[in-house]
Amino acid sequence: MRVADSSAGFIRQLQKGNSVGASLLLLVLCLLFTVFSENFTSAPNLINIVKQSTILLLLALPMTLIILSEGIDLSMGALLTLANVVLASLVIKFGVLWPAFLLVLILCAFFGWANGLIISKLHIPPFVATLGTLGIAQGGALLVTDGQSVVGIPPEILYFYSGEWMGMAMPFWIAIVACAVFHVLLSHTPWGNHVIALGGNREALTLAGIKADWVLISVYVLSGVMCAIAAVLLTARISSGHPTAALGMEFDAIAAVALGGTSFEKGKGWLWGTVIGVLAVGVLRNGLNLMGVPSAVQVAAIGILVILALMVDGLRDKQND
Amino acid sequence: MTDHSAPSSNVQQVSGWSALPNSVRVTLLRLIALALIVLTLSLTSEAFLTSNNVLNVLRQTALLFLLASGLTIVILTAGLDLSVGANIGLSACLAATIIKSTGSISLALLAGMGSGFLIGLINGGLIAFLRIPPFIATYGMLWILHGVTYWFMGGETIHGFPADFRAIGSGYLWGIPIPVFLMLAFLLVGMIFLQRTRWGQDIYSVGANREAARLSGIPVNSRLVLAYVMSGLMAGLASLIFLARLNSAEGDIGEAMTLPAIAAVLIGGTSLFGGVGTITGTLIGALILTLVLNGMNLLSINASWQPLVTGVIVIAAVYFDNLSNKGDK
Amino acid sequence: MSELTPVLELRGISKGFVGVQALDDVSFELHRGEVHILLGENGAGKSTLMKILCGAYKTDAGEFFYEGKAVKIAKPSDAKTYGIAVIFQEFTLVPHLSVAQNIFLGREAKGRWTGLLDQASMRSQAQQILDELDMAIDPDAELVSLGVAQQQMVEIAKALSQNAQILVLDEPTASLSDKETAKLFEMIAKLKSRGVAMVYISHRMAEVFSIGDRITVLRDGRKVASRFPAETNQDELVSLMVGKRVDLAYARTFEAQASQLALQVENLHAPSGVKGVSLEVRVGEIVGLAGLVGSGRTELARAIFGADPVSSGRVKIFGQLQDGGPLRAIELGAALIPESRKSQGLALILSCAHNITMASLKRLFPSGWFVPSKNLEQSIALIKRLRVATPGAHQLVQFLSGGNQQKIVISKWLSAEARFFIFDEPTRGIDVGAKAEIFSLIDGLVKQGAAVLMISSELSEIVKVCDRAYVMRDGLIAGELKRQEISEESILALGVQDARG
Repeated sequence: MRVADSSAGFIRQLQKGNSVGASLLLLVLCLLFTVFSENFTSAPNLINIVKQSTILLLLALPMTLIILSEGIDLSMGALLTLANVVLASLVIKFGVLWPAFLLVLILCAFFGWANGLIISKLHIPPFVATLGTLGIAQGGALLVTDGQSVVGIPPEILYFYSGEWMGMAMPFWIAIVACAVFHVLLSHTPWGNHVIALGGNREALTLAGIKADWVLISVYVLSGVMCAIAAVLLTARISSGHPTAALGMEFDAIAAVALGGTSFEKGKGWLWGTVIGVLAVGVLRNGLNLMGVPSAVQVAAIGILVILALMVDGLRDKQND
Repeated sequence: MTDHSAPSSNVQQVSGWSALPNSVRVTLLRLIALALIVLTLSLTSEAFLTSNNVLNVLRQTALLFLLASGLTIVILTAGLDLSVGANIGLSACLAATIIKSTGSISLALLAGMGSGFLIGLINGGLIAFLRIPPFIATYGMLWILHGVTYWFMGGETIHGFPADFRAIGSGYLWGIPIPVFLMLAFLLVGMIFLQRTRWGQDIYSVGANREAARLSGIPVNSRLVLAYVMSGLMAGLASLIFLARLNSAEGDIGEAMTLPAIAAVLIGGTSLFGGVGTITGTLIGALILTLVLNGMNLLSINASWQPLVTGVIVIAAVYFDNLSNKGDK
Repeated sequence: MSELTPVLELRGISKGFVGVQALDDVSFELHRGEVHILLGENGAGKSTLMKILCGAYKTDAGEFFYEGKAVKIAKPSDAKTYGIAVIFQEFTLVPHLSVAQNIFLGREAKGRWTGLLDQASMRSQAQQILDELDMAIDPDAELVSLGVAQQQMVEIAKALSQNAQILVLDEPTASLSDKETAKLFEMIAKLKSRGVAMVYISHRMAEVFSIGDRITVLRDGRKVASRFPAETNQDELVSLMVGKRVDLAYARTFEAQASQLALQVENLHAPSGVKGVSLEVRVGEIVGLAGLVGSGRTELARAIFGADPVSSGRVKIFGQLQDGGPLRAIELGAALIPESRKSQGLALILSCAHNITMASLKRLFPSGWFVPSKNLEQSIALIKRLRVATPGAHQLVQFLSGGNQQKIVISKWLSAEARFFIFDEPTRGIDVGAKAEIFSLIDGLVKQGAAVLMISSELSEIVKVCDRAYVMRDGLIAGELKRQEISEESILALGVQDARG
């Protein structure tokens, strides 16, 4: 068995069955929608799926690492929301993106650092710690906006979501770069090994002379940074800052990661599964939209499918045991 | 001479604070915190001790507690129920629809409780028999319930319920507001269940070590389903009270109650890892949370601070419990 | 061959914690190419000494000498400097990283310009080390795909790759089969010839005498003796460890009597690894179940008890069909004391009282109404009867010693009025002195009309205690031995298949 995350082993990973549930799901969904809806396979539609999924992908990638390290981050959605409103407000104030983005980046990195600190130094379980910081971020977003939307975003910002470069939509490029960066980080750096070790056998890290706490904090900081980047896309997409813009998105991210095969315990998982998971959610929403299914039922359908996909994986695991 | 039947010489003499069992320490700490909060609020706000406000606080606490009590049992089994808010939503909307269409209050009550019960049953089935991790199962259910509720309501709102129904939220029984009465009643029920029945004892065993419980002949699956059914039932009950007080129902009702309910349980000292915790703790946790938020309202602190403060309290509560536990080792 | 100057010498090492003097004036010499066995009960100071050797603890007093020169070992990097590495029982390996990644954890090879992992270099270096040590392991294999014995090899390779000259091995054969143990000993011989010095912590006498060059016994934090294997024997070592003459071969009166069948197993098959087993146990008997690690003994026990599913065959307990799970087995009077009592037998964070009545709540409180005082009464009675050392029934089980925890497990079944007990490695992780007490407990049980099926990997235990023994091999019963036939040789003979190496 080759080690997970080696890009050469992509097909082998699929065969190993870690993401059979999600892959099957994706396949089935694509087939269904192709049959039932004319527009599904049209180029503009497929592009749309990718664009809409990118924001979730930017959250799901770091979430994969966090879950690999035996943690969880419930505050991502709230942080993204906070970043969105702060970015929107600052961009309007400065008129230009870059200083605003820089400040938001610092804010989010700090938030991630605080998460990591609470978990490692105060010894609070990640679930509780990020539940707490979720409230803090949510409160922050409300305070900054006083409950109102922030409107009047300069149109240049919209480029990040609606613009193109070399014929492909911007979000697509951002997604590619993000996947590439995370793949390199996880599979080709010592740090990546350390993150896996954090979830697999934390004492091994300490005994090897690595500061496990720092590795943990860095994972959460990375998650914060990704929220900042996702905020740019989100702001561009809704061309405003809204105090409840992304609340709850962390659950989507967790669902995507779980679908993708990362186990919640013991440091086993891989990034491509997460990508498939994100796509599965994106395809589902898009396809149901096209079929005119009300958003409420879409939401229900995602729930059912998450459960079904997990059951398939669970059954397969049992057989393999 | 090593005599293996005598206690080891490592045991130190302990007295005072350290001699108390941890559960007592946990409760005492919280009672002290509660007392401090009440004291501070009485001193800083004139409106705090008015009968109106006190009743308000008690009603709010009651609603939160009723929801959190079922959740306590689930968390004691080292599980989680993220679907309680959505449960409230569906159950309330069902009950509301029934009142509007049939005018029968008792039927509505039945529908609300029945819906809560059924949802709990499904959750229990998914988790116990299909072995889906509680986080995922109840999260999936959350979505499903939301979807069903939204579809069912079609984006509309139902409002205006008969006075008899609204009495559930605003009425009195023997001089006590009904919600408070229910709170006290279910506090008693919860205490009896957990401390004075063998099913309650089993819940602790399952949470502390599921495999050991199974090998000791405890029907683990039944107990898990029981826990989730209780959580669902209490959500059903809470939905009725919520409905009565709000006097209207729409798709997203109750959504915002899941996290405060979990917070109340954690603040109350119940451990996410299972096997440790009490219903009394949850009541105190619900009280603390409600009082703090009420105090903030009275002191005209911007409501946007509330989620923030809740987050800080949860972290603080777990942190102090950790400290207290470390003292044992 | 050892030289005159020890590679490492400890003099007058003392270390205390609050309320406990873990080590008191311990001196110790280690020579190159020597296996120095460290014997002692739990609490004797072995693990403290180990931690001091690897720099995890600082000493209160005492000196270290490396090759005759005075040195300081106060932190892990010091230990690394002098080439000291400890192989703990819980491996310091990461399950989902590869062998090579594990070996180089924290010392990863990086590309010069990019800072990225140089996988190829790590792989080839790892391959080199593995080849040198004659280990047929693929450096790219995911760690979790290897068996326990191979993982241990990787752990050793990891230590050696850091130029360890002194290896401390903590009960290395605890979870190895005999075949794997033999391979380990080959490795140790190879290391000896390379001049590596080893501190070997064990309590298995057979090993002590087969690979030990020198033996040091610790008791209550003091060194009580140092011997060469040739000048001592097992009994002396045991009494040195315990501090008094311990009658290991406690007298068990074997009363031959035909009596009621407690357990009948007929051609049992289970997917977990039982391939057609038939056996029986009668009231008043202690029947041993021997076999190599992996022969299916625990699987058989669990299948009988209903803890794992059964595919065909029948189990009858006291004449009644066991056709359900643990609950049914308990109703029929069976009890299972599992191998890993902490993870399967006890709820560590709950009290003694709670644990003791866990399997008998229905019997004690048939109406469902739970009465704490009655619960307490029942627990205290059993605590007294089994002489469990605990400050009280409310004490959380996690704070009890191994032997006392085992007694709590047994109490649980006494409270459930069990009459047929399946013990899976009853004395694992228990001090020598407490072992005898457990055995006399078991003896007491059968004298009072119970029946016992006992799984044990300690052949000497089976020889001393059992009326009869079955030997398992590959999921089947390889043979049955009557009392007179039971000996370590006869058990081994049945347990080992000739064809395999």
